[in-house]
Amino acid sequence: MQLTIVTDLNKCVGCKSCQVSCKEHNTSGAYGPVPDAHPRADVDGMWWNRIVTMESGAYPNTSVMYLPKACMHCYDAPCVPVCPTGASYKREDNGVVLIDYDSCIGCQLCMWACPYGVREFDEEEGVVKKCTLCIDRLEDESLPEVERQPACVQSCPTHARTFGDLDDPTSEVARLVSTRQGFGLLPELGARPSVHYLPRRPEPPRVDKETLEKVMAERYE
Amino acid sequence: MKPAPQLLVLTLGQGLAGGMTASVGFLASIGGLNHRLALLLLGAALFCAILGGGASFFHMHHFSAARYILRRLKTSWLSREALTTGLFGGTLFLLTVATVWGRLALNSPLYIALAWLVTFFGLVAIFVTAMLYASIPAMLSWHSPVTVLNLLAVGLLGGSGWGGFFGMVEHGPSGQLAAAVAIFLVVTGAVKAFQWHVFSLARHRIRATTGFGLPFAPYRLQDSGTTRAPYRTQTQVHPVISDGLRLRMAVVTAIFLTVLPIVLVILSQIAAEWGWMLGAAISITLGSIFERWLFFADATHSSRVFFADEPREASRVAEPVMRGRLS
Ligand code: SF4
Ligand code: SF4
Ligand code: SF4
Repeated sequence: MQLTIVTDLNKCVGCKSCQVSCKEHNTSGAYGPVPDAHPRADVDGMWWNRIVTMESGAYPNTSVMYLPKACMHCYDAPCVPVCPTGASYKREDNGVVLIDYDSCIGCQLCMWACPYGVREFDEEEGVVKKCTLCIDRLEDESLPEVERQPACVQSCPTHARTFGDLDDPTSEVARLVSTRQGFGLLPELGARPSVHYLPRRPEPPRVDKETLEKVMAERYE
Repeated sequence: MKPAPQLLVLTLGQGLAGGMTASVGFLASIGGLNHRLALLLLGAALFCAILGGGASFFHMHHFSAARYILRRLKTSWLSREALTTGLFGGTLFLLTVATVWGRLALNSPLYIALAWLVTFFGLVAIFVTAMLYASIPAMLSWHSPVTVLNLLAVGLLGGSGWGGFFGMVEHGPSGQLAAAVAIFLVVTGAVKAFQWHVFSLARHRIRATTGFGLPFAPYRLQDSGTTRAPYRTQTQVHPVISDGLRLRMAVVTAIFLTVLPIVLVILSQIAAEWGWMLGAAISITLGSIFERWLFFADATHSSRVFFADEPREASRVAEPVMRGRLS
């Protein structure tokens, strides 16, 4: 089993609900692992899920894209074998990559090994932290069935995020990846991320031909 | 990435200690070792090893978990580093004690064998530390065999520089020592030049195409999720140094690590004065510090693709495609 999240980049509007709900869920209660120890000195603090906003292409053919980026719960997670103490590990039963804070020495080697920049160092506790795929929610039997999913998936207003088992060919995530050409980030680095994204469908340019030709003439001739 | 002072001291101390121990092995093999010279070199090597070992300890931030550090010997180069650096430090300490004790003839086969054995442990420790950096595909600048060559070459150069100085002070075979320093100077210069080329290739491997699934460069980062990139919590994406600073540091490194020492080593042989060799050893050590700072500060991590724009270059592939689409 490999639990994962698939995000449809056509539906994500960059509202950052998932980013905020991740932080809210993981800092709420008496104890939360996402620290904000110095909110005035460091306004950002730690985030396990960051929505990156990109503008791509050259004028007039530009577009903006939002990319929610948290741990990819990689199949061949490079952060796991480098860890000297075994604090970083991948669960065999569901494929979730987790960190045991009690045995982490804070060497940050896993932060270097992760290609995606999703592990964050907690200076206060001296350990590295990251997205847990909300394992505490998934395994909390006191929660109603509908709540047993990651906070970021549940909070998405456009339903851009889908949660499920990628190794089960009948699951919704497997169907989306196989039928909609789901892709993983930075495949050349060999981590085999389980988190996938559904590519954006190209939109035709909305400027008229004359303007376009004028711009192209200015630019390239 | 952010150069951590602990890692600078660890890698430099370990390299110098390995290089100085190699000098002891070399001098013992050619019959040029006397008791004071051996003590000076081993004492200095031990000092550097202790400095490096101490620094590596403080690179941990959660000491109570330190007892688990050897758990992943099978896969983690950091576990292996803790083991091999400890082994090197321990055997170096024993060799120093045996030398102080003075019962072992310094040019005897047993002493020579022991000196080379400790040198071997030293080189293995440097190799393992270098592999820790070289085996991470996401560290685009370091993921290359050149990293291993670089750490070994700079360590041996630093050690041989101090070996040359102590050798001249204690009337050792200065010609051979100077020749050894000269060889390492040339090798280090070549390796360093090649490594800077690898670093420059790595800077240009930051690609939106695979980082975002975006077909067309250039792209512009509008927002990395928070008010600024996570430089505080993700040290591997610490802002890249400017082109000017990179160039200045490379020039200073080249001068101190190779150019100036070559001149000083030649002068030391012409004037038969150890002062010139002391200058060469100090210059090499300073050059090694600048080199190591640049090694960390200028390293490109793949995750920078999500936190900074890729280098601005016109795409020779995309432009005709764009033209075709638009016409
Ligand atoms: S920082 Fe912690 S989890 Fe990461 S490699 Fe070091 S010990 Fe393992
Ligand atoms: S995304 Fe990074 S932290 Fe998460 S499993 Fe992959 S390598 Fe490890
Ligand atoms: S799965 Fe949970 S921990 Fe991971 S990004 Fe989503 S809300 Fe955050």
